[in-house]
Amino acid sequence: MPVNYQDLQRQVRDKGRQAPAYQTRLNQAVQQAEQILDSQSHRLDELRHRLERARQANPALRCAIPLDDALNATFPQPHLPPPRVLLAADGSQINPSRHDPLPFGVINVGAIRILPGTAQAPAEIIESQLLCFDELYPPEGALTEEIVALRRDLNERKTLAKLAQAESGTVVALTDGPLELFRDPSERSLFEMLLEDYRAALQELVELNVAAAGYVDKPASDLVVRLLELTLLPGDALSQPHQARPLRGVVDVELFRSRLASGERSAVFAIQSPSARHFPAMLALHFFYLNVNLRGKPYLARVEFPAWVAKNPDLLDLLHATLLMQCCQMGNRPYPYALHRAHEVALVSREERQQLSNMLALELHRQGVRVGETSHKQVHKDQLGKRTRYVK
Amino acid sequence: MTTIEMGKLLRAAATGCVVGCRVSQIDVPALGGMVRIPLDAEASQQVYGLIYDIHIDDDGLVRQLVTAEGVPQEVILDNRINRNVPLEISVVFIGHRQGERIFHSLPPRPPLTLDALYPCSPEELRCFSNAGNLGYLRHLLRLEEVPLGELVAAHLQQAAAVQQQAGNPTWWSKPCVN
Repeated sequence: MPVNYQDLQRQVRDKGRQAPAYQTRLNQAVQQAEQILDSQSHRLDELRHRLERARQANPALRCAIPLDDALNATFPQPHLPPPRVLLAADGSQINPSRHDPLPFGVINVGAIRILPGTAQAPAEIIESQLLCFDELYPPEGALTEEIVALRRDLNERKTLAKLAQAESGTVVALTDGPLELFRDPSERSLFEMLLEDYRAALQELVELNVAAAGYVDKPASDLVVRLLELTLLPGDALSQPHQARPLRGVVDVELFRSRLASGERSAVFAIQSPSARHFPAMLALHFFYLNVNLRGKPYLARVEFPAWVAKNPDLLDLLHATLLMQCCQMGNRPYPYALHRAHEVALVSREERQQLSNMLALELHRQGVRVGETSHKQVHKDQLGKRTRYVK
Repeated sequence: MTTIEMGKLLRAAATGCVVGCRVSQIDVPALGGMVRIPLDAEASQQVYGLIYDIHIDDDGLVRQLVTAEGVPQEVILDNRINRNVPLEISVVFIGHRQGERIFHSLPPRPPLTLDALYPCSPEELRCFSNAGNLGYLRHLLRLEEVPLGELVAAHLQQAAAVQQQAGNPTWWSKPCVN
């Protein structure tokens, strides 16, 4: 059945009527946030003090932590030679489903190794891990979609660390999305165990002095806005566990869009968040905003990287320059070419899932093992939209 | 006999086939070039054909890359060598070989998926075009929406060159004389 267009049409008209007022309120909030950014730009000690008070009252507080640069500082595109090696990894997965004849999972990591400026064809690397039988029911907890996604993220970093180990010279290693892990599954012990491996993979990249980063396209985060909000709260409100959000709806990109010229990045910020404790010392997560559009209207990305990159100006500049080089290769829709290619390599299609399911069933039959059947619910869902016709 | 594989068969019918190859292999085929597809491991049975079309398809990424200024060489090579955007070569069947005998009729069966395509050597081209009275050219007349004149000219030029080298400069006049 289609959606109820009559109902939705009325709702769409209502939303349309609300839109101008919403836009006006949002514009005012953006303007206010911009004023605070400028006025507080150099009052970093005061900001850090307020942040500390708020954090003590509210450990779940999530916002940016100012470092040494002014809040509104901008940094131009560094003109550097490319890194010797550029690595990028991305992952995709097949989540086990009890509706399948034989539940199984796959974690697929695709990586690409580019030697920029060498006129050599890049190398593609694919690592696939099949999960079935007991692997679907680890003693630490069930293999939920959250855990499969976490294992995929872990495998991406492990692959990058393994590839980086074989390299010499400057290496930049990219993944798509933030480095911070947002997942908070109920299977705490399994999560903690995988997190430990994740940190170990990041630590390996530290030791290899790799400029590792997560690239967030079209970011919707409001970490800097949340920091600025703290200046609007009266002193006693800072000590409340649930702090008000006077700039709710404003995202960081709105703050920086008009400030960052082509190729410029913002100041570097650290991240205050409940998961920050998972990333201590050199692994502590940092970020900057980057205007990746070298032609035309600004297009901002958020780049997340660990402290060892943040504290090393050479690596920071290398990362900045490499991302711009990569983005400009994609023409009028800037996005790192290497990440797009890693995504292409990693992608598992529905057809591949079906083929793998058939391969597994065939192998089990060959071994004399009984294979179950697709659930009736799934069979009916698969039939949806499939029509047959009478043909003479 | 040339053993450099040009590509593998994607789809076929009784009268022709389409072969996919990587863009990096593009220097091997040429419009009007004669090719062969062995039907068995010993190559005692082969299908002969002429290349009448070469397609290079695009995809979303390629369309995006053309908007960039100065695409680096490694990106060009990545798209030509690594990415799954094959070059499609269309072949019309013009005859076949059974053991030592050459026939200018259609093969008894088309080749199968993933059968390999090879360019014919000058000697193979000479033997094939010298057998019979150019009757195989009738297969080209079935083709539609193809620059037929260009195709025939390209083939005759290549065939005449190898015949001339073999001391047979009047080869082309054979059907008129006989």
